[in-house]
Order: sequence, then C-alpha cells, then structure tokens
Amino acid sequence: MPAQPPLPPLLAPYVSALPPSSLTLLSSVLGATGNWLILRYLYSALGAPTGDAAFGLLGGESGRKRKVVLVSFLRGWEFWRSEAKRLGLDLARLTDKRQFAFVDGLSELFYTPATLPPSSQTTPTTSGPAPSRTVLPVRSQPGPVPARGGPQPAPAPARPTPNNPYQRVQQQSRGPGPVKQLHLTGTGVQALDALENDISSVIKQLKTPVTPGEEEPEILLIVDQPDLLLAATGPAKGIGATEMGEWIMGLQQNVHATVLALSADSPLIHNAAESAHQPSTPLEMESAAFAIGSAHRAQMVLQLRNLETGAARDVSGVLRVSKGGAWGQVDAGAEDKWEEREVLYFVQRDGGVCVFGRGE
Amino acid sequence: MAPTSLSHRQTHNLLLISKLLGHRDTASPLTLLIDSLEQPATPLIKEYIRRAKISKVHVTLIAFETLKPIDGVDSFIFARRKNPSEIAKEVGAAQQKTSTSPSTRRLILIDSINPLLRAQRANAHFHLPTFLSSFLLPSSPSAPKGDTSLVVNFHQDVPNPPIRSPYQPSPLSTLSFLATTVITLHSFSHILAQKAARDRSLAAPVFGLAEEQDGVLLGRLDKPIGNEFAQGIVLEMEHRRRSGRGVLEWYLLPPASSYPPNQLKEIVTLLDDHPLYRPPEDPGAQEGEEEPQSTFELGLTDRQRKEREGVVLPYFDAQQGNGPGEGGRILYDMGEEDDFDEEEDEI
Repeated sequence: MPAQPPLPPLLAPYVSALPPSSLTLLSSVLGATGNWLILRYLYSALGAPTGDAAFGLLGGESGRKRKVVLVSFLRGWEFWRSEAKRLGLDLARLTDKRQFAFVDGLSELFYTPATLPPSSQTTPTTSGPAPSRTVLPVRSQPGPVPARGGPQPAPAPARPTPNNPYQRVQQQSRGPGPVKQLHLTGTGVQALDALENDISSVIKQLKTPVTPGEEEPEILLIVDQPDLLLAATGPAKGIGATEMGEWIMGLQQNVHATVLALSADSPLIHNAAESAHQPSTPLEMESAAFAIGSAHRAQMVLQLRNLETGAARDVSGVLRVSKGGAWGQVDAGAEDKWEEREVLYFVQRDGGVCVFGRGE
Repeated sequence: MAPTSLSHRQTHNLLLISKLLGHRDTASPLTLLIDSLEQPATPLIKEYIRRAKISKVHVTLIAFETLKPIDGVDSFIFARRKNPSEIAKEVGAAQQKTSTSPSTRRLILIDSINPLLRAQRANAHFHLPTFLSSFLLPSSPSAPKGDTSLVVNFHQDVPNPPIRSPYQPSPLSTLSFLATTVITLHSFSHILAQKAARDRSLAAPVFGLAEEQDGVLLGRLDKPIGNEFAQGIVLEMEHRRRSGRGVLEWYLLPPASSYPPNQLKEIVTLLDDHPLYRPPEDPGAQEGEEEPQSTFELGLTDRQRKEREGVVLPYFDAQQGNGPGEGGRILYDMGEEDDFDEEEDEI
C-alpha cells in the first residue's frame, strides 16, 4: 500500500473544516480505537508547516490562528506526546508556544491530595454542603482508584506526604506548559462545574493574546472519552447523561468547535434498547443515553468499527462519516457541503494511516 | 380505492397538514414529534419556523440541545441546567415582552424533551403535564387569551429513564396521551427500501441502531440505494380531532433546498402520490400484452371483425337438428377470391 501524507486526502475534508460552535462526535469500539483520528484533528489544526497544501486549506477560510485544548480521560500526557511525535508534532514545544494545552483527566481524577493549594481546589472538609461531605469518603473507596493499580493505599486523602507523581505535576503546572490535572470532588452538578471551571480557565489562558492586538484565536476543544467520568460516577452520585450533556454544552460555549470521543461498543449502546431482553443496568442506560444524545446534538458523527468480515492484515477498521442530528440546523454555507461516506483505514506500524475506499 | 375517494382524501388531508404545520385555527395545541437518529427532526423544525415567519407568528425555542439560536427564532431560551419552573418563567417573560405587538399567535418549540426527562435535578415534584400546560395556559386570567401552540420533540432512540414508581406510565406514553397530533419521522429512502422488501415478501430491513451492530450509531448514508430522488422526510401523522376521531396519514416533506424559503404553496404531498413510492402503472405494459411484437399483422381491421362476427359456426348449425348427420356439415359459400380445387374441396 503506498504511503499517504499524515493527513490522508480522503480524510482531510472531514477533519479540517469544522463549522463554528459545532459538535463532532467520534465513536469508537474496543477493536477500533479513535486515537489516530484524534491525532489527525491535532495535526490538521496545529501541524502542517507554512506552505503546505493542508495549511492553505485551513487558513484560507478564516485566517485566524488555531489552537487546541485536549482533555483526555483515558490516556496520559506521555501517550499523546509520543504518539504526536510520530506524526511530527512536538506537543511540548507547541505547549510552550501556547498553541496547545493538555488537560489530564486521568492521573489524579479521583485523587484529592490534602495539601493542595486552596486557590485551585477546595477540599471537601472546608466547603460544600453537609451531605457531600459525609457521602464522599465512603463511596470513593471501592471506586476505580485501586483498580488503576495506583501505588497509594486506600485512605488516599489522608496521606501525609504526596508521592512522586504529584510533585512532578506541581512542577509542571508551575512551568510554562499548562498541563492541568483534573480532580473530581463532591457529587452531582457541583463536581462537574468544578471540572468545567478548570477546563475553561485553560481555554481562557490560551485565548488571551500573547502580543497585544493579536486576533482572538479559534480554539478547538477535543474531549477524549468523558464517558469514563460517567461510568465512574453515575446516577448514584447525581451525574447522569443529561448532566454530562450539559457539561459538554457548557464547554462548547467557550470554544470554536468541539470534538467528542466516546465508546460505542455494543454493551454500552444496545443493552439499554427496548428490544433487549434483560433489564439494563444504570451504567448501560446512562452511557447509551449520553452517546445517542450526543449524536443527536452533533453535526457530524464519525463512527469507527471493526471490519464485519473479520480481522484482515491490511485493514484496521471501517470509518463511517454520517450527518448527525443537528446537521442543517444552521446554514453554514460551504462548510456544510460534505458527503456522507464509508471508507476503510489501516494504521501502519509507524503510526501512519492509509484511508481508502472499499476495493481500492 | 375509487378515484373519487382518493382525491377527496388528498384535498382533505393536505389541507389538514398545512393547517397543522402553519398553526392555523389552533388545529393542534400540543404536537409531539417523534424522531430518531435515522431521521432527525431538524428539517421539520426549520419548516415550522419558516411557516411561522411567513404568517408572522412569534416563535420561541426552548433549547435543551441547541447551542446557537436557529435563524428565524424570536426568543431563544437556553434551558441548560435550568429547573422546569425557571424555564416556564423565562418563556412567560419573553411573551410579556412581545405582548405589546398585535401578534397574539405564538409557537413554542422544544428541541428535545429527553434531557429534561432524564435530568437528575427533575425531582419527584416534576410533573410533565403541568410543565407543558403552563406554556399553553395564560399566566393570569385577565391576560388576553393568546393563540399558542406547542411542538415537543422526543428522541425515541434515547433510552427511557428508570420509572420511579411501577404504576407510573413511561414519559412517551404520557406525551402521546397528551398530544393532539403525533408526527413520527422516517427517512424516505428507508421507507422505500422497506416497501421494496415488503413487495417481495421479504423481511423489512432495519437501519442504524436497530441493526445492533457493534460501533454503529447511524446507518443513514446520503445515497444508500443510488437514488438521488429519494430525498425528503416521511411524516407519519396521527391527528386527534376534538370529536375524538383520529386521522392517520403519511406525508412526504421534500428537502428544503427544493423550494424557495418564501414559498406559500403547499409543498407537502401525500406519500401515496409520490412516483417512487407508488409508481404510476406503466401504460406500455398493457398494450404489450395484447400485441406481441411480430413481423406479421396480427390485428383485425373493422371490416374483418364484422365479417368474423357474421360467421355461423358449425355447431350452431348442428343444433338445428335436421336429422342425424345433417347438422354437422360445413357450409361454405365460395367467394370471389376462392378458386375451386377438385381434390381438396370435394363435397
């Protein structure tokens, strides 16, 4: 198979021109993950040195600078940095140049250090209504903190000395690159509000011009797998599909365009359907409602799935681009002129991706 | 169906749908749209707004899902993280603001009721019928009775929230009991594919989420069967009249690009009238049955037909009964063009 440019030509129209205040849903399954596609979004917004054809395609429409905020709940900074390097994107350098910001929702989402500076976090002992204070320590114990294999023993909030990753994080957050760590405290809408504030502060930081008189940049927000947040909290903690959807809407208000990556594996989507024979669990219902509701709100839905005919040596999966429920809501003109289509893709060993039609 | 009753149904039901979409004579105070990912209600909502603009109706959009106001909406109420009572208050305030203007007809659109039904904040005190009727009833008895219609969109593929009490009906049944008109949306190309399968006695195909395929949320593609004319939305309408009688009809709404935005003439047609759904009977096919293609002239001229009818066949003669053996004879009068052959025509 011939090598294709970092942004395959078949993919370019879907990845590069996102209409303003739009939501793009990127659904993936376990066998066909969407990391490569998120990297293509990063590349189309940040990569492509001046003079490249892809850049002309981007810059021609608005002429405004593009910046990206990546919020990842399933993968850490190291993963994204090394994967982007294979595409020729130096995320650390871009962070220094304030074109890119990474928000880490994985490392310390459920870890609330007792010695946090009060400006960034309020500890549950000093604020918040009484019920959340009594409920939180009990429920957080069997949660995903031990399951992640973290080194900390069970009473995490009471640890006297912060461990090594925490120190490293503090150094990073003091450094030039805004690698922000998210912490989930409390329950329900308040907890989501705190996360939203953290992310919007990063967005605002990126928006403020470096040199005075500079035009406000277009921010692309990529939220990677926030369904982890829903799965880890759920209705018992006052977070359901509606709250998650509204949380995404709140983030959308601050940025030019939003890309939302979610899992669409069968158990997460179809077990909650009316045709299912068993009563579904709250987790199944809430994630199905969140994913389907997001598809209703999205202008474009990119669906990744396995090849129906089984595994193949030269095909990684199928990408289907469809019009979401909100398509056609705003007459966006030329930016809405794209066709639905279904293509195959192949992720090569070096991280390069070929996108081709069936039979090509 | 007799042609007269078909044309009667045509005029009657087309009048009804233009009344419903244009909100004339408060034909339907509460319209429920049931959509799915396979056919979202966005084009129909835009059509509602377009018609409201033409007839100068005040449009309010209560947005649970929409981020930016759609063109043509007069007041846009962003319902994110708001209690039902707050939403009702805001809608009332938006109406107060415009009540000085002479237009009293209002249209309130709810882009999706599902987030509200699922919301954790919607506690036990939330009562859907009360919430909906708070928009329709005037805020105070002294206020002028406005002419308000409510259009509520419901995504049928989003799973229903768990029912709080086993004796409580599901939100969809509550809504469909309350609604005066229920419009279910289908994609035209899917309807055609299902009809084609039914015509051949095959199981109708399913699309999108109903396929239950791993990783498939949406099945719709622009040109699934290579048919560029299969665009548009099929509306399955159930209208409940005040008398209690229901009207069921299937309509087709063409895509917005196929008519100018200020078109006044009705663009919705009956689904049965669409050539792709019910192809007109091919006139060539019937002629072909009578006259197979041949180099011979197999037809009859008028004169030939008349003469053929005049021929008395032998068995008629035999029935006259002039004695045994007499009746079955072939009687033949020689014409001018016959020439007598002794060997064959021996009598």
